[in-house]
Amino acid sequence: MTRAADFMPSHLPLPAPVGGRPVPGRHRAAHPSGVGRAHIAALDGLRGFAVAAVLLFHAGHLRGGFLGVDLFFVLSGFLITGLLVGEATRCGRIGLAAFWGRRARRLLPALVCVVVVTVLATWAWGTTEHLRFALDDMPWVGAQAVNWHYITEQIGYWNSSDTRVFAHLWSIGVEWQFYLAWPLVVAVAARGRCAERIVASLAGVGALVSLALTVSLGAAVDTTRVYEGTDTRGAALLLGALAATAPVRNLVRRVPRRAADPVCLVLGCGLAVAWAVTGGEEEPLLFQGGLFVHSLTAAVLIVLTAQVPGTWAARIVGSRLPRGLGQLSYSLYLWHWPVYLLLLPRLSALGGWGGTVVAIGISLVAAAVTKRFVEDPVRFRVGWARAGRGLIAVVALALAGAVLWAAVPEPVPGAGTVDVDQLR
Amino acid sequence: MARYALSAVAAVAALGLTLVGCGEKGLGTRDEGKSKQTTSTGAKVLWLGDSIAGAQAPALNAALKASGVEFKDSSSDGGGTIVNSGEEITQMISGATWKQLGKDIESFRPTVVAYQVTTYDWGSQDQQRAAYEKVVDTAKDAGAKVVIVSSPPIKIDGFYKQHEAQMRTAPKAAAEVAGKNDGTVAFFDASQLWGTDASAQKAQRAPDGIHNCQQGAATFAKWFTEKLGKQESFTPASVDSWAQKSWTGDERYGKLRCAA
Repeated sequence: MTRAADFMPSHLPLPAPVGGRPVPGRHRAAHPSGVGRAHIAALDGLRGFAVAAVLLFHAGHLRGGFLGVDLFFVLSGFLITGLLVGEATRCGRIGLAAFWGRRARRLLPALVCVVVVTVLATWAWGTTEHLRFALDDMPWVGAQAVNWHYITEQIGYWNSSDTRVFAHLWSIGVEWQFYLAWPLVVAVAARGRCAERIVASLAGVGALVSLALTVSLGAAVDTTRVYEGTDTRGAALLLGALAATAPVRNLVRRVPRRAADPVCLVLGCGLAVAWAVTGGEEEPLLFQGGLFVHSLTAAVLIVLTAQVPGTWAARIVGSRLPRGLGQLSYSLYLWHWPVYLLLLPRLSALGGWGGTVVAIGISLVAAAVTKRFVEDPVRFRVGWARAGRGLIAVVALALAGAVLWAAVPEPVPGAGTVDVDQLR
Repeated sequence: MARYALSAVAAVAALGLTLVGCGEKGLGTRDEGKSKQTTSTGAKVLWLGDSIAGAQAPALNAALKASGVEFKDSSSDGGGTIVNSGEEITQMISGATWKQLGKDIESFRPTVVAYQVTTYDWGSQDQQRAAYEKVVDTAKDAGAKVVIVSSPPIKIDGFYKQHEAQMRTAPKAAAEVAGKNDGTVAFFDASQLWGTDASAQKAQRAPDGIHNCQQGAATFAKWFTEKLGKQESFTPASVDSWAQKSWTGDERYGKLRCAA
């Protein structure tokens, strides 16, 4: 039973940056997928808005902010597919190993770092439940499959996200599973004629199948399956993918700027209204097409922003603040939830907004430090992160995580919870 | 270069999968001590209900087993109702419950089918009565008695508000069915134990206002075991033998934010 509505969300979302291999700035304007430099800034800005929405949602200040994760999914599908079809067009094939390698370099170092530090912090400051579930969930996070673990645990049904410091990493699992499967599909499609048309068709059909699954599974008492399933959330990723294919891009390029501006305004306002008025992640309409419409709106906004030069929307979302937030979004997302869980209860004296401001501030600092000392060095291959040394560093950190997992004593739950005298 | 990064992702994923394969980290490892051998009474209880019944099940299992009664928890985290109110959700849940009940009867061969009224027992009083009569007939066919337990008081949020009136008639329908089948069906009125106010201390609700924590589970297990003992003629085990054992570490109490 239970659908107890806490202010804490029962499901948590998330963003993984795409951006592929680091490309010198001067080459970005000629990005093979047609996403130019200014437009990359705009997409970074969209990521900034998305992460801000998620942060506010998790702090209990924006009930529809969880939809930010949907925007992240669409962005990921768009950018990843853009890179893949660009490579296929340029080289006639897709180097899958190289692609997965770049994804790993981009995503794993910060993730491993946050997981290891979070377990230590939970050991020091978390409750017995936090530590117990952190240790239970950690291997699943490592296997990039924690979303399926949470589905079997019915985390949404029990409304128990706030007992799990890794609850937000379900979306990273969804992204990774997509990164493993979708490039294979694109690589096979790229071998034939009309590759991009085939990719577009597969993405479109896949998104519709995903929608049908969502509608069918959305009627269940426990919505964890529909909310965190890779297949059901695939609609957003695939709509983003569809928007990145040549047939759609070419169509959108013909849209004049004077038409694109008001359309972007309407779409942007539509997203903002959805984030403001949606009542929570268990709103029935979400699984009856609501999420799909949100993803579709986001996909159209993204492709217009990326393909039509000089729109007001691109200038606004690509401005300094959202863009800066977007560039920090991955680490910020990774850090914010454990920071909220471990810190917010201790900040109750500051009030709702006071505590939120401090927790977001600390998350921002942690994100900036992680970006500066972990993400960027690996991404730009500074000395210690090059070749074999980078591999050694990541494997060493992962091993440290495994040792930590084994070494941290599992708390004995339940001890002293029953007073026998009261039973007599 | 990609080779190295790819190796890294493979290494991390492999490590994760290995740890996943290792299973949970020694949960419930508190020493149970050398429990005394209990004599089997021959009674076998099949426990049905929703996740509220599920939160009672760990203690009930411990108490009944200590008393020599076999126990199978077939409560459901996600409905568990046997009443089809005609609404899509209860149609779906009750269909699954009846299917599972058939399987459980076949495999477990219970002597007592115990059903705790769920928060999804919606519909008219006639629909509720029909469902309870059906469970009585099903159990009779399998040679088992039936115990129907009313549900504890719960916090009525927006979701339950629209069904509050129906939830109130369910125990009345259950009591009627028990009255008509004296001898084979018993109705345990849990309001004697919990009271009727979910916010009162007596109701022993978890922070969610719906389920119980360990102390509540133990309280219920003792009450139920004593009542069933009178009916089935067995002596309930002393609370000292089961109330503080490893069941108190059941994962669901963590999910319910019960104090550890």
